[in-house]
Amino acid sequence: MDKYDVIVIGAGNGGLGAACRILNAGKTCLVCEKHNIPGGFATSFVRGRFEFEASLHEFNGIGTDEEPGSTRKVFEELGIADKIEWIQLKDAYHLISEEEGYDYVMPFGAEAFAKASGELHPDGEKCIKEFLALCRQIREAMAYLSETKGKPDPKVMMERFPDYLACGSYSVNEGFETLGYPKEIVDNLNAYWCYLGADGNNMTFLHYANMINSYITGGAAIPKHRSHEISLACEERIHELGGDIWFNSEVVKILTDEEGHVCGVRLKDGREVESRHVIADCSPHLVYGKLLDSKAVPERAIKLTNFRKLAGKGFTVFLGISKSAEELGIKDHNYFIYDTSDSVKQYESMKTIGNTAAQATVCLNNAYPECSPEGTCIIYMTTLFTDDAWSSVKKEDYFKTKNKVAADMIARFERATGSNIHDYIEEIAIATPETYARYCGHPQGTIYGYESQYYDGLMNRIQMVEEDRFVPGLRIGGGYGERLLGYPSSFKSGVNEASRTLRDMEKEGR
Amino acid sequence: MAFKRSNIPGEDIRLAMEMTAKRRQLIDETPATPLVYEYGVNRLAKALHPGFVKAVIADKTPCSADCVKITLKAEDGGEFPYFRAGQFVTLSCKAGESFLNRPYSVISSPGEALAGKLEIMVQRKGIFSTFIIDEAPAGTELWLGEPSGDFHHDDIRDKGHILAVAGGSGVTPFLSMMKAIREGSEDFRMTLVYGARTRDHIPFDPDAFRGDGVDVVVVLSEEEADGYRSGFITADLLKEYIDDDTSVFMCGPDAMYRFVRGELEGLGFDPTRIRQERNSVGDRKVDEIKVFRLTVHIRDAVYELDAPNNETLITALERAGIPAVVRCRNGSCGFCHSRVINGEYFIDTKDDFRRSADKKFNYIHPCSTYPESDMEIDIPIMNP
Repeated sequence: MDKYDVIVIGAGNGGLGAACRILNAGKTCLVCEKHNIPGGFATSFVRGRFEFEASLHEFNGIGTDEEPGSTRKVFEELGIADKIEWIQLKDAYHLISEEEGYDYVMPFGAEAFAKASGELHPDGEKCIKEFLALCRQIREAMAYLSETKGKPDPKVMMERFPDYLACGSYSVNEGFETLGYPKEIVDNLNAYWCYLGADGNNMTFLHYANMINSYITGGAAIPKHRSHEISLACEERIHELGGDIWFNSEVVKILTDEEGHVCGVRLKDGREVESRHVIADCSPHLVYGKLLDSKAVPERAIKLTNFRKLAGKGFTVFLGISKSAEELGIKDHNYFIYDTSDSVKQYESMKTIGNTAAQATVCLNNAYPECSPEGTCIIYMTTLFTDDAWSSVKKEDYFKTKNKVAADMIARFERATGSNIHDYIEEIAIATPETYARYCGHPQGTIYGYESQYYDGLMNRIQMVEEDRFVPGLRIGGGYGERLLGYPSSFKSGVNEASRTLRDMEKEGR
Repeated sequence: MAFKRSNIPGEDIRLAMEMTAKRRQLIDETPATPLVYEYGVNRLAKALHPGFVKAVIADKTPCSADCVKITLKAEDGGEFPYFRAGQFVTLSCKAGESFLNRPYSVISSPGEALAGKLEIMVQRKGIFSTFIIDEAPAGTELWLGEPSGDFHHDDIRDKGHILAVAGGSGVTPFLSMMKAIREGSEDFRMTLVYGARTRDHIPFDPDAFRGDGVDVVVVLSEEEADGYRSGFITADLLKEYIDDDTSVFMCGPDAMYRFVRGELEGLGFDPTRIRQERNSVGDRKVDEIKVFRLTVHIRDAVYELDAPNNETLITALERAGIPAVVRCRNGSCGFCHSRVINGEYFIDTKDDFRRSADKKFNYIHPCSTYPESDMEIDIPIMNP
């Protein structure tokens, strides 16, 4: 049988979520993945006696068994929640910023976070309580917009969500300026900026506030068996529901019929599979630039794609250390280490190779002590390049360049934490933008899809999701989708596009 | 809360309402120039990791009693991927009814790869090496996998001096390293200690590599000769070549690993500074050979074959002529990652490099897995 109701291109978070949703609705579905395992970035790899998490630092929206967060609810609906063992994280982050001399740990939980902010500034507690109340209003407004399918009652909006309406055009920096909080409090609230990777002048306030609210109030978790556990949980669910996943099966063409409607895909080995509906969990750059025949791509799709900005290019150093975290004096799970808390300055300095001035670093053992053999620990440090600097690296220089950047990051971490890890590195792996491009095919090796730009932020994308769609039978989800980057976002975006695809099918009477 | 930046009534809301219209306008104003989906990063990723490429045997030269040096050229006459000295490639071809893949360390340098030359050394051992040595003349086409593996020097992890210990064809990754040091693509000092029975069993010319921070010490076990050490690679010998800045790399038979590790332990050498190349997982000893039925799914195709309990699943697949993906053959790389639908199996702990979630959800690497009952598995398609 070479015909499916829906074909999903790519088994990343978005593709796996989409496939589970389609199959849950009783439709047939084939996932075509070019790699030999599912997950895209959601995976892990083994070196010697260490198993490294490939990308996940922390997963928000999980909540607890008693109070499940929004993402856990999606997992429950799809039948994968029980397949994943979660480990709850204790603290939010350890912030070290050199310029301002910050060096402190922030806890999770609205109360605790507000209280800890009181130690940063006398007005800290009051400010955070006010800020989180605003975040709550934003969340409720977004839920209302979703319930009313984007057609809200203006009166309700004015009465219940005045602050939401007021800040709809604010950048992060404009938002914090308007709130008028002390610098220490704003700097602390800016700590999560690297999770979205756009600077405070570009990122929309609504998007950023919504994200940090989810972390601060809902906390975060990690899957016990690395993110590979999430990917395999989805794969198992797909098989349970009668779906298929083909690995080593790169889609090279999305086929369209005379009316321009999707009618199938062609794989690299030439095999064609029929379907009226395709959900692509890959970049629109690839979909419109390569996978579709140019005659099936309207001009506006090209314009939209050119309008968007490819986001941060990933770089990660994975270290297996032959000493325990305790012996090294590394106490926390999640470190943000910056040159400056000014995200605009920081973003600018991350454009070139040689300025690895920001890193998000995880010591996995401080969340899950058994993740590596006794007397050892796992540390991984991630930074972003905010411009396409790695495109000009020559192959003869590539290995030396990546080790130079990695050595700088390790030295920076040691300086910030006062630890010596260099002498105990037993295993090292380094992922560059080239590595991310190799495994997932992303242009420039971006790991964050399209950047959260001022006019291409969360609310604009959500509101214009139907307008941004051009080819009948084709929808694009995942990290490039309407909810932007990140584990829960890309997963939900895939699920949402699947729901829309199911509606498309209903309309077509199939 | 007074949350507004403008004192003009309704101004903030007006600006918020304009966000989508403004985006629409900006998209309108963006030129419809052809989309660029491949950048320098993507091209370099492809150049370093092209997957399988076609290659041709250009030359075969005997280099010892049982070793032959094979020179490969790319089918299109172009360059081979740049790599880290010490990495291996997979050779893949049809030999009779079987479809075979074998990993071989590259013995030429990264610079030579860019010049279009790749050399490997094949030691006469089994079905594949015999085929390459006796039945594959110059001009034979093969599929060549991209350079892989983490058996290479790393200037962050490793010390500045590598004490390389090798036996038999285990010298191959070190030949590449020594050439790389000479051409400048790798930068470390190295002492190669090579164990052989007699001079006739040395598949390389030790004199050709000395200098440029490289020393070669050959230890003969069954012969005494000028310029050679005799005996075995013992602690007394090893300690002559260990300084404060030394990491040990080993490549050879498992028995050599056990012996040298013991000797180094006696010297108080830090075991986390010892790396060894992993050997292929071979047949295992069983009390009674049993033959099980193996059902294999590749996409929507289904195959049935026999699989004896003393051979790995990959061996059974290859024997049956099923094009099964495999790369390292030692359980570590995960290239042959496959789903177990049902059945019992055995994996030796030392060859089990699966991720913890693979164990939880019942996935295996067929190159290191032996069947213990009838089995049904789903393997990825071979897609050169």
